[in-house]
Amino acid sequence: MTETRTASSPQVAPMAGSSGLVLEEAHKFRVHTRAYNDRAVFDAEMRNIFDRVWIFVGHTSEIPNPGDYKTSYIGMQPVIVVRADNGDVNVLVNRCVHRGAVVCRELRGNAQQFECPYHGWVYQNDGKLVAIPHAKEAGGYSEHFDKPAGLYKVPKVDMFRGLIFACMDPNVVPLDEFLGRAKLLLERRFNLSPSGEIVFRSRPFVSRYKGNWKFQAENIVDDYHFVFTHTAFIDLQAKYGDATGNFGLHPGGSASEMRKSRYRGNVWGVDQGHGILDAPALSPESFLNGRFGDYYKAIQDKVGAEEFKWVVGRGIGCIFPNLGIIHQQIRTWRPIAPDLTEVTIYPFELKGAPGEFNQGMLHAQERFYAPSGHGAPDDVEMFASNQHGLEGHAVDWLLLERGVDTDEKQPNGDYRGQPSSEACQRSYWRQWNRLMTKSAGA
Amino acid sequence: MAGDMNFTRENAECFLIEEAEMLDELRLEEWLKLFTSDGLYWIPIDETMSTNETVSIVRDDALRREERVFHLLKTRFPAQSPRSRTLHSISSVRVRPKVDGQVVVVSNQTIHEVRTGDYRQSGLGEMHTIVARMEHLLVLSSDGPKIVEKKVLLLDRDMPLGNLTFLI
Repeated sequence: MTETRTASSPQVAPMAGSSGLVLEEAHKFRVHTRAYNDRAVFDAEMRNIFDRVWIFVGHTSEIPNPGDYKTSYIGMQPVIVVRADNGDVNVLVNRCVHRGAVVCRELRGNAQQFECPYHGWVYQNDGKLVAIPHAKEAGGYSEHFDKPAGLYKVPKVDMFRGLIFACMDPNVVPLDEFLGRAKLLLERRFNLSPSGEIVFRSRPFVSRYKGNWKFQAENIVDDYHFVFTHTAFIDLQAKYGDATGNFGLHPGGSASEMRKSRYRGNVWGVDQGHGILDAPALSPESFLNGRFGDYYKAIQDKVGAEEFKWVVGRGIGCIFPNLGIIHQQIRTWRPIAPDLTEVTIYPFELKGAPGEFNQGMLHAQERFYAPSGHGAPDDVEMFASNQHGLEGHAVDWLLLERGVDTDEKQPNGDYRGQPSSEACQRSYWRQWNRLMTKSAGA
Repeated sequence: MAGDMNFTRENAECFLIEEAEMLDELRLEEWLKLFTSDGLYWIPIDETMSTNETVSIVRDDALRREERVFHLLKTRFPAQSPRSRTLHSISSVRVRPKVDGQVVVVSNQTIHEVRTGDYRQSGLGEMHTIVARMEHLLVLSSDGPKIVEKKVLLLDRDMPLGNLTFLI
C-alpha cells in the first residue's frame, strides 16, 4: 500500500502512524480522494477492515428455527448465516472447500444441508462436510487424503439484542467493547418495544449506487446535508405535514424548523469509529398524550421518566464500518467495487408495539426511503455525483473539518461535537486510518 | 360502455396508450384524474405479503399520488435534476372481466428511461429499461373507465433497484 501511494501521489507525505490518506493537524481534518476511488485502497480495506472488525450479518428474527438461513456478506466474502439444530447461529463462508463454488444461491430459506452443485459435496447446516461423492472410486481419494472438516466457519460470532455480528479475526475485542457508546443507542432504540425486541418482517429496500461505500457511512449521521439535499422534501412537509403519512418521522414543517430539530443535542464521534446523533425529546408529554399514549405510558413506566425522553428522542447511528440505525430501520451498505455500493434498508417492527404504530412507521419510511421515495434517492444521487467529481485529479483532499475546533475529546477517546459538527465522520476516518495503517506497517 | 362484455381489448389498449402518453409527456395532473377517489397506485416488493407487514416501492392513495405529482412538477430535487425522459411500450394486453362493472386489464410494459443533462456525467444519459407486468383494475362508468388499482409488478421488484423517482 505504502509504495502504491507514494508512487501515485508524491505530494502526500504520510505522517508517522498514518495511512497517508487521512490528514489531521491543528484546525484541519482532510481525507484524500484515493481513499474513495483507488482499487488498491479498496482491496486493502477488504482485508484490513472487513477481516478485522465485527461485521453485522443479520438479525435473529430472520432465522428463528433450526435450519433457517440467510445469505450475507463480510466485505467481498459471501457467507451463510444459519441456525443449527442445537440452536447455535453459525456463519459459514459460502464457498465449497473443494473447488470454490458457492453452495447456497438463495437469499433465505431452510436447509438441513447444503450441496455443492458442481461435484455434489454435501455439508450439514452447521458446515460439517458429510459426503464426498465417489470418494473411493478409481482415481478417487486415498487414505492419505487430508479431508477438510467442512465449510470455513467464521471464527467469531456474537449477538447484541438480536443483531448478529461476525468477525474473521479470532483475536478481535469483545463485541460489547467494540460497540462502546453505540450500545446505549441501540438499547434506547429497541427499548421502544415493550419487550425490548425488534423483528425483521418487512421486505427490505435494496438499491445500488455508483459511488464509494464510505459516502453512505458519512451520510447517515450528517445533519448538515438535510436542508439542502432534501429541500424538496421540506416543501412536501410544508404542504402536506402528516397527512401523507410522515408519522412524526421528520419533524418540522419548514426549513428553519427542520434545521432547529436537527441542530440540537449531541454529536458523538466514537473512538471505535462509530458516529451517533442523539437528543432527548423536547416534549415527552406529546407522546404520552397522543394517539399511542397507553403504549408510551407503559414504556415510560418501564424505563423511567428521564430515560423515556431519550427512548422517544433522536437516536441515529453509524456503526463502523457498514451498519446504520435511523428511524425504525437497520441499514447496511455493502462494498462491491470502489465505485459501486449496495444499500439494504431493513424496516423493523417493535415487538409488542400496537399494529397501527408499526404500520405507520413502515409507510412513513416507504415515503422517504423507497427507490421511488422522496428522500433516499437524492442521497444516493449525491454519492454518485461525489464519485464523479473525484474522477479528476486537480483537487486532492475532501474537507471533513466542520466543527473541528469545538469537538471535545473525552477520556475514553470519544469526541463530543457541537450540533452539525463532522465529529462522527472524523472518528470514522480515524478508525479507518488506524486499521489501514497497521496493515501497512505490519 | 354499459357492461363488462363491451370492454374489448381495443378499448383496453386505447386506455393504456392514453395513460402512457400522459406519463411520458408529464401530463400528470390529467393522470391523477384517471383514478377513482379511493384508487391505489401500487408497486409492491412482495405482492404476496400484506402491505401492513411490508413496505412497497410505491403504495399511493389519492393524497400520496397528488403529493408525488406535486414533488415531480413543482419542486426541485437531485434525483430528478436533470429530469428523466420516459417512453412506455405496451404489449400483450388482455382483458379479464370481473363482476360489478369492473375489469382487470393485464399488460406487459417496457419503460425506457434516460436522464437528461450533461450525458458525460455519472447517471445521466444512460438508458435504463424497466420491465413490468401491470394489472389495471378498472371500474366502468358513464365517464369511461377509472382506475381502482394500478398494480405494477416489476420483474426485478425484490432485487437492487436504481432511481425510480418518476412515474411507471
